[in-house]
Amino acid sequence: MKGGVILNKIAQNLFIFILVIVFIMAFSSSYLSLSIDNLAYVLVIGIDKGKDNNLEVSFQFSTASKAAEGGSSQKSPSVMDTVEAPSLSTAINLMDSYMGKELNMSHCKVIIFSEELAEEGISEEIYTLINDSQVRPSANIVVSKCNAKLYMEQTSPELENLISKYYEIFTNSSKYTGFKPNATIGDFFNAIICKTCEPVAILGGLSTEKPENQTSNHIQENYNVKSNQTPIEGENGSENIGIAAFKDDKLIGELCALETTTFLAITNKIDRFLISVPDPDDVNSYIDIYLYPKGSTSIDVDTSSASPFIKVKAGFTGKIYSMSNNSQYLDPEILKNLSETCNKYLESVFTDYLYKTSKDFKSDINGFGKYALNNFFTTQDFNDYNWLNNYQNAFFEVQIDTSIKSSMLITET
Amino acid sequence: MTKSKIGTVEAIMLVLTIIVTHTISSLPREILVSSKSATIINLIFISTLVILFSYLVVRLMKNFAGSDIIDISEYLGGKVFKNIVGIIFILYFLVSSSILLRNFCESLKIIYYPMTNIVFIIALFILAICTANRLDFNASLKTNLLIIPLVLASIVFLFFANMNKFVPQRIFPIFGDGLFNTFLLGLGNLSAFGGISFLYFLPPYLKEPEKMKKIALISIGISAIYLILCVSTLLFMFSFFINTNEITPLYNATRYIEIGTFFQRLESVFLLIWIIAFACYLSITSKFAMSIFKKLTNIETKKPLIDIFGILILGISLIPKNYAISDKFETEIYPYLVLGITFFLGISILILANLLKKKQKNVTSKPE
Repeated sequence: MKGGVILNKIAQNLFIFILVIVFIMAFSSSYLSLSIDNLAYVLVIGIDKGKDNNLEVSFQFSTASKAAEGGSSQKSPSVMDTVEAPSLSTAINLMDSYMGKELNMSHCKVIIFSEELAEEGISEEIYTLINDSQVRPSANIVVSKCNAKLYMEQTSPELENLISKYYEIFTNSSKYTGFKPNATIGDFFNAIICKTCEPVAILGGLSTEKPENQTSNHIQENYNVKSNQTPIEGENGSENIGIAAFKDDKLIGELCALETTTFLAITNKIDRFLISVPDPDDVNSYIDIYLYPKGSTSIDVDTSSASPFIKVKAGFTGKIYSMSNNSQYLDPEILKNLSETCNKYLESVFTDYLYKTSKDFKSDINGFGKYALNNFFTTQDFNDYNWLNNYQNAFFEVQIDTSIKSSMLITET
Repeated sequence: MTKSKIGTVEAIMLVLTIIVTHTISSLPREILVSSKSATIINLIFISTLVILFSYLVVRLMKNFAGSDIIDISEYLGGKVFKNIVGIIFILYFLVSSSILLRNFCESLKIIYYPMTNIVFIIALFILAICTANRLDFNASLKTNLLIIPLVLASIVFLFFANMNKFVPQRIFPIFGDGLFNTFLLGLGNLSAFGGISFLYFLPPYLKEPEKMKKIALISIGISAIYLILCVSTLLFMFSFFINTNEITPLYNATRYIEIGTFFQRLESVFLLIWIIAFACYLSITSKFAMSIFKKLTNIETKKPLIDIFGILILGISLIPKNYAISDKFETEIYPYLVLGITFFLGISILILANLLKKKQKNVTSKPE
């Protein structure tokens, strides 16, 4: 009897032991495939148009071991390789073979498309990337005015040793400059399928490629710039200013810095921004004002006629940033005049921008369609209205309510 | 099992288990696809109906104190009918949990175990439930009592953490595909409340059977709020679930949670909680299936059944050749099983049994 119990116990333990071994063996293949030694972490993917309808795909990798060797003070070199293939997945497969490691996209921060490719449509690449469980929805989408590969080569952050760190934070300035959107692949994919909006991407370019005859130093010109046209000179060869606007999956146009700020203000994605408004007392000079949105922009869409009528109401509080001799920013009358000037200026900027998206781009990148949804009882009614195509017939009314409160530290000179 | 009685809170969590596990899988997507922007209205309408339905179930079961649906079937149609109903419920519990397990494991394979054979991923769950079922029934219930609130909390967190990405206007057009689709065809979404099938089996196990009404109403109420939270998260965040079929929609929503640059990639925490919730669900459904089997066959102990039922779940979950077939079952066949068994068969038995009881009462009380 006792021997039987012992035998039973031995058999039980043996069974558990065999089970543990079987499960270790079964799961080890997945563990090995995800082991850090077998993976090559892609930081940036650049996609260009190749020869014979192929794609030229560039991958930038992090080199953790080299970074560790160099210490924290030295810049970590990154590795970049390019492959030409008929599709993105084939390119990844070929690169897997070349690197001798499996490409892992879980740390991919940016996906760059060349302007040429974006004009032809990028939905296939976006769908492929979204289908990959490793690609984060927060990875940014950049449309480069130059070759994507060149953009990647030229990107050399001045203040960051790790390029991954740079790409992690490079869109943060959109909250306080409004010069670029934080356009992610998750939002882009959502907008491609959405029937009430269209996608946008960050407009990238090279700071070394300046147009000839760039002589104007007019203060307003600095807000009408976009990537490849800025007056910036520095070690970082790339720059990201402006928006690449899409209609469906095709690049349809570009927005400059000021228009990008307007886009972000309308879509409530900005904390503060600086603008230069004409001085009410001196036509030839400008005053720089920091504007803070008072609340969410109010949007009302009337779809009672075939042409949508869109009312945009935005409110800002402002603080005067620029100072000169004889500034009297404690005088309520001056502040009121300045507020009114600011209103007029912003109304004109907003209206121009909105008609540009409607008449030139024919693309509802602002997502006004969602405000039209409550005018319809059923999805069929909304589909019959054909919002995305009808947006080109839209009319706009813009109301801006700015109240300039004061200047900053100095109130009078 | 009858030795260990279930408390009120434990019973509420038990009913919630089914809905929780189904929302982790594809249930929210299916509801969204069927009702589109009218999903929230549809769910409020459906929840009201289910609350009325569960109230009716409790009222009808009151006349058979301490009996479950199997006992009531025996009263209504004798041993043969009892066996038929018992087998139907055993198959329902086994098949639905097996296919749900298969779908969940397919998702796990895609996300975390690309190189591991699906058999081993499923077998790991089977091993867990066989071990859990060897313990007292209360062990599973107590674990469930810990895990289900955690899952509920995770869904509330998911809702609030993603709130900044919401487009609340997606609730419009208010009637989605029209009144007919929202309220009449939308009745198909009753299947989301498959958890009320446990109500038919609870009375013999309750510590306080008089609280059955409370258990039913609270569990359905929480289920409704939970379901509305899950579906709202998806409806307000994404425009694509209506057009695009994506596995484990809630997992997709967890990938968007980012709190600063420090707290990112929280989806693994969610998956861990969901995996444990899944094991609890499988353990409970298999225990109920075994209890029914025990009742039908009058065997003394359930112990020899534990491994057999485990292997049965493993076998059934491996029947579909691929994810497409198992997904088809979950999205196209399972809802009809719930409607047919939980909402039609169960209530029909209760109504007929009550009529029979009334008739017998009248006959006995009639003066000769």
